[in-house]
Amino acid sequence: MGRKLLLDKAHVENIRTYDVYRREGGYRSVEKALKSMSPDAIVEEVKKSGLRGRGGAGFPTGMKWTFIAKPEGVPRHLVVNADESEPGTFKDRYLMEFIPHLLIEGMIVSSFALGSNVSYIYIRGEYAWIVDILEQAIAEAKQNGFLGKNILGTGFDCEIYVQRGAGAYICGEETALIESLEGKRGNPRIKPPFPAIKGAWERPTVVNNVETIAAVVPIINEGGDEYAKIGIGKSTGTKLISACGNINKPGVYEIDMTISVEEFIFSDDWCGGIKNGKRLKACIPGGSSVPILPANLLLTTAKGEKRLMNYESLSDGGFATGSMMGSGGFIVLDEDQCVVRNTYSLARFYRHESCGQCSPCREGTGWMEKILWKIETGNGKISDIDLLWDIQRKIEGNTICPLGDAAAWPVAAAIRHFRDEFEWHVLNADECLNKNYGLAHYADPIAVPQTV
Amino acid sequence: MSVEFSKNSLSKVAEIISHYPAGKQKSALLPLLHLAQEEFGGWLDVPVMDYVATLLQIEPIEVYEVASFYSMYNLQPVGKYMFEVCQTGPCMLNGSENIIEYIKEKLNIGVGETTPDGMFTLKTVECLGACGYAPMMQLGKHYREHLTKEKVDAIIEECRAKAN
Ligand SMILES: Cc1cc2nc3c(=O)[nH]c(=O)nc-3n(C[C@H](O)[C@H](O)[C@H](O)COP(=O)(O)O)c2cc1C
Ligand code: SF4
Ligand code: FES
Repeated sequence: MGRKLLLDKAHVENIRTYDVYRREGGYRSVEKALKSMSPDAIVEEVKKSGLRGRGGAGFPTGMKWTFIAKPEGVPRHLVVNADESEPGTFKDRYLMEFIPHLLIEGMIVSSFALGSNVSYIYIRGEYAWIVDILEQAIAEAKQNGFLGKNILGTGFDCEIYVQRGAGAYICGEETALIESLEGKRGNPRIKPPFPAIKGAWERPTVVNNVETIAAVVPIINEGGDEYAKIGIGKSTGTKLISACGNINKPGVYEIDMTISVEEFIFSDDWCGGIKNGKRLKACIPGGSSVPILPANLLLTTAKGEKRLMNYESLSDGGFATGSMMGSGGFIVLDEDQCVVRNTYSLARFYRHESCGQCSPCREGTGWMEKILWKIETGNGKISDIDLLWDIQRKIEGNTICPLGDAAAWPVAAAIRHFRDEFEWHVLNADECLNKNYGLAHYADPIAVPQTV
Repeated sequence: MSVEFSKNSLSKVAEIISHYPAGKQKSALLPLLHLAQEEFGGWLDVPVMDYVATLLQIEPIEVYEVASFYSMYNLQPVGKYMFEVCQTGPCMLNGSENIIEYIKEKLNIGVGETTPDGMFTLKTVECLGACGYAPMMQLGKHYREHLTKEKVDAIIEECRAKAN
């Protein structure tokens, strides 16, 4: 097992309390950063580390930080995205629940680097008990001089506030999140202007994922170069993966991005293999929005190489034969699972979560849900499969925010790789009500499609 | 009906408003609606929303449009205990459909309905970030995970006992 940088201490008894966290070396990065580094030097370390945003898009964090505008006299803000609503994803919850001070520590350093004197954590409303945990950690940090006025005598002031959302996946999208923080409906904004120029209350704002900000702590403690030595290529450092579905050991794992997908699924160190002795059928490796892959393409790339658990390898082959790292929500389907039903369930999710501003997304998600339901319940036609394909093509790229793409991709990938399963549902209308199509993709690896 | 927060809540309101820049008190709307829902019977009646509008010096319509956007705000009365069962993909892979069916049968209500005694409401929700501990539901402030029929029975009993 590789090194852990974030969850290493997560199970030390009482690590949630300031005293234990501090005794275990907590808040060292704040002392180092505030007392011996300039904000620019911190940004430089983060750049060197190669850290990529852990919220889903994988954008280099250091670079994002250099975009923040610094108009004279205008306050700037750091907002941590703890909305975590992408199906399959529950890693930020784990981090905040077990080691809340790590997030607070990372936020203080990041706030200093960005010049944010008031920073926010926007957390999904359902994580109500985690709000209490975070507020307790913030209060303790403040009592001990790590938050508030003149932190450690350095002249830097910083407050952190927690705001609860109220049940809306779209508020994870950064401009919708900002709207919500301002007390409005979560309708994404048209970009530009980007939040780094005009974000919350028209002030320059950086929105980063919980895990991204937590990773700043080891980066500052060990240096960006040391951090970059862990991992492979442009996948530096460690990544939290939340594994779920039909596996023996669901949970949150910190990996160093050098292990193979096969090892991750089957080794007892990680997922422990498929539940109930079944076989692996398919997997959605990075949260519900990323393309589903059949077992054969999941374990090896189209070039025949072992697929690894990192950004480059998971996306190898593009959407024709690959997928994405996304948010790290790893959803495994066993041989008994029905791809049509699973796709229907996700389509319903996106229809429910569409904010309704753009017609392709608002109407298209509803259509896809209805057609998938028809096929799943044995009322579909072969032409419905083509219609589905057509609808998803018309959504992708034609909307204000990426939720449209996120809704289109799962449907596209399901048809691309499991078209025969959709056809089987149409042709076996009675049987498909109580039986799934089954194993074919594992037993007989399918030919690699030539085109998208 | 006259609606007013308790003293304790009113001081919380002032604290929450202070988290945002001066003049941007509307930002406190989501937290205030949570507070109002907790204090005034688990749902947001129109007079409650109007009261929140007054507190924040915004138009009532600004409150209605937000309250209707977010799924956690109830615009209709709900039972004392609300079972919010997740039905999204990962939970479905682990049998959430059977759990929903079982609760329907056991409480003799459909999804979105409340038992005649006002005790239980059944609601389906989308992924709550507990996919590894599926099937699951939210009950009040906390999650109930790894649900089985036996666990559902126990939870129902627990609620009934608490209510007595
Ligand atoms: C529909 C949608 C939902 C999103 N949900 C989340 C989320 O729950 N958490 C998150 O960190 N990022 C989410 N994102 C990505 C954010 O918009 C943003 O890119 C991210 O918070 C940036 O942080 P990072 O650079 O640290 O990853 C979502 C994006 C979209 C389009
Ligand atoms: S793509 Fe969908 S969620 Fe995004 S802004 Fe348009 S309608 Fe709203
Ligand atoms: S799918 Fe049910 S909690 Fe995520």
